[in-house]
Amino acid sequence: MLEIILCIVIILSAILALIQKDLLKAAILTGITGASVAVLFQVLLAPDVALTQAIVEGAIIPIFIALAVKKTQRSEG
Amino acid sequence: MAQVQLVILLTSVALVVIGFYSAIFIDNIIKKIIGISFIEEGVNLFIVAIGYKAGGVVPILMPGMDTSWFASNAAYPLPFGLVLTSIVIGASTLAVMLALVMVLYRRYGTLSTKVMLADTSKREEYDE
Amino acid sequence: MNELIPLMVIVPLMAALLISAFSKFNTVTKIFAFVVAICLPIIPLLSNYGFHYFGGYEPILDSAVNMMYHPAITYSFTFLQQIFIGAVGLLTFLVIFIYLTKYRKVSGPYLFLLFLGTAAVTAMLLTDDIFHMFVFFEILALAQVGIVAASSIDYSYEMALKYMVLGSIGSPMMLLGIGFLLALTGSVNVTDIAAAVHNGLVDATSPVFLLSLALIFFGWLYASGLPPFHTIKSGIYSKAEPHGAALLQSFTVISMISIVLVMFRIYASLPIFEVLIVFFSILAMILGVSLALTQTDFRRMIGFLAVGELGFIGLGIGLGTNFSITAGLFQALNEIVITALLFIGFGAIVNATNEVDTRKLGGLLAYHPKVAIMLLIGGLAMAGVPPLSGFQSKLMLVQASLSCGFPEISILAIMVSIATFVVFVKTYYTMFLKPKPNDLELEGKEVPKAMIFAMGVLLIIVILLGIFPDVVTNGISNFVGGIL
Repeated sequence: MLEIILCIVIILSAILALIQKDLLKAAILTGITGASVAVLFQVLLAPDVALTQAIVEGAIIPIFIALAVKKTQRSEG
Repeated sequence: MAQVQLVILLTSVALVVIGFYSAIFIDNIIKKIIGISFIEEGVNLFIVAIGYKAGGVVPILMPGMDTSWFASNAAYPLPFGLVLTSIVIGASTLAVMLALVMVLYRRYGTLSTKVMLADTSKREEYDE
Repeated sequence: MNELIPLMVIVPLMAALLISAFSKFNTVTKIFAFVVAICLPIIPLLSNYGFHYFGGYEPILDSAVNMMYHPAITYSFTFLQQIFIGAVGLLTFLVIFIYLTKYRKVSGPYLFLLFLGTAAVTAMLLTDDIFHMFVFFEILALAQVGIVAASSIDYSYEMALKYMVLGSIGSPMMLLGIGFLLALTGSVNVTDIAAAVHNGLVDATSPVFLLSLALIFFGWLYASGLPPFHTIKSGIYSKAEPHGAALLQSFTVISMISIVLVMFRIYASLPIFEVLIVFFSILAMILGVSLALTQTDFRRMIGFLAVGELGFIGLGIGLGTNFSITAGLFQALNEIVITALLFIGFGAIVNATNEVDTRKLGGLLAYHPKVAIMLLIGGLAMAGVPPLSGFQSKLMLVQASLSCGFPEISILAIMVSIATFVVFVKTYYTMFLKPKPNDLELEGKEVPKAMIFAMGVLLIIVILLGIFPDVVTNGISNFVGGIL
């Protein structure tokens, strides 16, 4: 059951991230996708990968994107 | 095939498709890059799902475990090792791309790829 | 001395890291980079042929099914690896020599990128592990992007970003293909996968196997710049510094042959594999030459010609016989040397005139006779004029396609060679022989000595390979016999 909820969260947040007009919100939604994938890795019996994924895709990549958005412009277009 | 594995494989395919759509059709370069990170995530999820074994255990041999029982029940650990590397590679390429975007934003003042990455050979003819 | 095999990758990698860490000490960095660059072509010459198993895990024989398993990342070093690593090492040395003599203050990060690229292609050639190859493929893409972005030519950042975005779509595809292979065979070692395919453990007609071929093939097209990626590949050549472009094209050629040899070992039993390779190669030959004809920027022209030459390599490998693969690999070696010579030579002209448009140039023969003569010989070698090295490999290719029963392909190859000749001579005429335009200032601008030295070394190799092709082709033929 947990994994089905996680899968729905992953796909929804991925789609939401791409239809956001505000790029900062898109960056945060990317983080939600990454963190949910990390939990899914734990379900798939890969705790070591889950740790790396939680740190890299759940935290570092959203921060990178947010920094890039801060240095450029916040709204799309 | 276990039901869990099937659901997760479908999710990974969906992530790859969403990523492809945004990397090809969306004009904003930051969203293109987010889409590329989704493609990488989807591929990683796919490869980890290969190694999954329904009802298995985490492939770490704790002291006191029976080795033959462990060998027949543990998940296949090779894909997990590959994905560890692949996650880090994805993060580093993403960082380089964002750095290039920041430099180019200073020159053009926009994030639109139609302006930023227009065909340079045509632009040089305009300059003349 | 099998211990030297991993050193071929470790030495440039460590040098890259040390140089970027200590780049503020200018003189020390220069001397260190020079010494390491000299070592690069020497290490493969000293090393013995053999295998290196990382971690010392020897192959295991499963006596129940009588099959070998390779638990370790394996580096295999044979004659083929020796000449290609030697060639790219020599080219790296020449490029770093040009770079060190051109600038008084060297840039540590740039040298880091050059060494990193060399280490990556060396590892791609040596490795027998498909995921290991993928990792270095990604590192190579990053190094190529860095070399392009570090140049001072206009619009280089745009080109670097475009290449990177395309690459980030292409490389996950390749990883997905590797994932399918892993799912089918449970291994990432190429020897194990090939054994599993040949022993019938994998259904060679299953859609998953075909899909993995399609995905890895897509990654290969991106790595080697065959169509649909020919425009971006020639673009990055024209946006890099000339010595950087000389090294970039050698990276392209080597990543192309290392990936295609791995694919050949796994997928050779599928007939569609060879058809695909031949189709894309012919497309590359025709598109490369016809697009080169329309260019006015001569760096871009050489870029498209280089893509067209890549088609010849693919053609040789796609025909699938021992003789044709030998011809294709020999053509790869020739292309590395000849295209590097042309990039460095035309780079010397850019250096001396600050002009890249052929329409604004002319009469350079009187001012730079040495460069002019060496460029002429290089261009003739690329077009396949006897007795230069390009002639020998193209002759072998034409013979191979004739003996395979495809006279159409031989005619096409000859026509593309003639077109290459026409493109080159047309450009050469407008640049060197046509009367000098009045507004072109040429007085007091010298070509750097290091560039002339590098061109001379490459030219000697071109002529020697043209006169004594057997030195290389016999060894390559033995290697090809081993994988067929």
